Amino acid sequence: MRYFTVSKNIREAENVNTLEFYDSINIIPGQFIMAWVPGVNQIPLSFSSTGSPKSITVKVYGDASAKIAGMKKGDRIFYEGPYGNGFNNIAGKKLVIGAGSGIAPLIPLIDDDTTGIISGKTAGDIILASKFNPDHLIIATDDGTAGRRGFATEAMREIDIESFDMIYACGPEVMLKAVFDYMKNRDVKCQFSLERSMKCGIGICDSCSINGFQVCHDGPVFTLEQLREMDEFGRTKLTYSGKRVFF
Amino acid sequence: MLETDIGIKLENPFILASGILDENGYTVKRVLESGAGAAVTKSIGSSERRGFEPPVIYSDYNYTINAIGLSNPGIEDYGNEIKIALQAGKPVIGSIFAQTPEEFAGLARKMEGYGAYAIELNLSCPHVNGYGMEVGSDPELVSAIVSEVKSKVNIPVYAKLSPNTSDMMKQANAASKCDGYVLINTIKAMKIDINARMPVLSNIYGGLSGRSVKPVGIRYVYEVKKETGKNVIGVGGINTLEDVLEYIMAGASAVQIGSAVSSRGIALFSDLSLELEKYMEMNSISRVKDLVGVAIR
Repeated sequence: MRYFTVSKNIREAENVNTLEFYDSINIIPGQFIMAWVPGVNQIPLSFSSTGSPKSITVKVYGDASAKIAGMKKGDRIFYEGPYGNGFNNIAGKKLVIGAGSGIAPLIPLIDDDTTGIISGKTAGDIILASKFNPDHLIIATDDGTAGRRGFATEAMREIDIESFDMIYACGPEVMLKAVFDYMKNRDVKCQFSLERSMKCGIGICDSCSINGFQVCHDGPVFTLEQLREMDEFGRTKLTYSGKRVFF
Repeated sequence: MLETDIGIKLENPFILASGILDENGYTVKRVLESGAGAAVTKSIGSSERRGFEPPVIYSDYNYTINAIGLSNPGIEDYGNEIKIALQAGKPVIGSIFAQTPEEFAGLARKMEGYGAYAIELNLSCPHVNGYGMEVGSDPELVSAIVSEVKSKVNIPVYAKLSPNTSDMMKQANAASKCDGYVLINTIKAMKIDINARMPVLSNIYGGLSGRSVKPVGIRYVYEVKKETGKNVIGVGGINTLEDVLEYIMAGASAVQIGSAVSSRGIALFSDLSLELEKYMEMNSISRVKDLVGVAIR
């Protein structure tokens, strides 16, 4: 396996850290690595910066993410990858919509004219807001502890989404489905980065599949048009064992 | 021209191997629609099983080592996946794993009821205690499993055997009541990361597949075909048409492909069909059958 050497650990929130490193690896925004914590686990992580320095932003969910979030300068992040197709980053007026740590892989796409919507359950879930021009940012929380009360889709109602050249969205599939439903009959172009249970990262184990496409290999980024054809989207998925469950 | 017969008729000899892209019915359907002649399901057991924690796969240009750990949703929940897969209108072969003849037979009956065209007995997974290879290396048990399953289903039964034992023919003879052999399963192996100074796979050991195992697969296909004359399905390290021809000339009536899907994508099934057709035209061969075992001496 290859590894990055951590140059800086930045605390973003109570349970979210950004790890910076310098490396010549070529990364398309939206691609991810399978980060390996020896003896613990291996988890998918995407890049919150693809320039120099590069960075990954990790939210603590379990033992492996906790170990990575606690890394210090000089520690090594072992990985395989980068994997996946990444976003098609266009020049033009962009809207990015991220839920919780789903905002991280969208950060490399933003410029001064980019509008952002960051949503979360509560104020503590809102991260990386400082990366946006404050005039072009809407924050929404379920409990109203930061920004507007409500889901990302309610924040979308406040803006003319048809005025954007491209919309990028990332977050849990239930949230993406709500965003998709809001947009599906409008004249918009959108790319969605999906999250599903990943094991192999190379498109053969089938645990992250959606309608026969592998999220790790054919995605994680799919267009609005592609998702229109996928009746599994937001409806059913496979658990870690391979059992089909409904969202 | 590419039709072949392994107890079931296939429109071409290219089958998706068990354990690769075959957990979700939609994926199997997509692979079949993209050109595979048939698909084998992931190995399914009596109950839901989580499998091992990642890393479960290490892959290089020449090889892949996996220890997924027989993760599966359990037989009761798998009928719906097969139903989705069968919408492609092509054969789906149900792979099953268990410990006793009765348990194997129960799974096989369920698979038959779900519409599987044939059964593949996993007697050879090398990385899960109590299953696969451990069951398959006991000739008496293998013989009892094959007899019991054969007596309970009316569809062909294939025995997938392990290259990890000293005598393949002992296994093949023990499984002689089967309708065909699937050779080979992966070879027990491991990978150490020199920087982490640790085995990479969480299970430490996994099963080796990919280009590196092809010569081993060819040898066993040749040996078992020569000795038994029964149908053999070749699997292990198939990437190119040359690999396919080697397996067929060694005695395989069809081949299964797994690891190569990662590098060549699912288009490889239709690509290989076109390449094989072209080869047969150029060499005036009208049936795949005419090539099977031609190298056997």
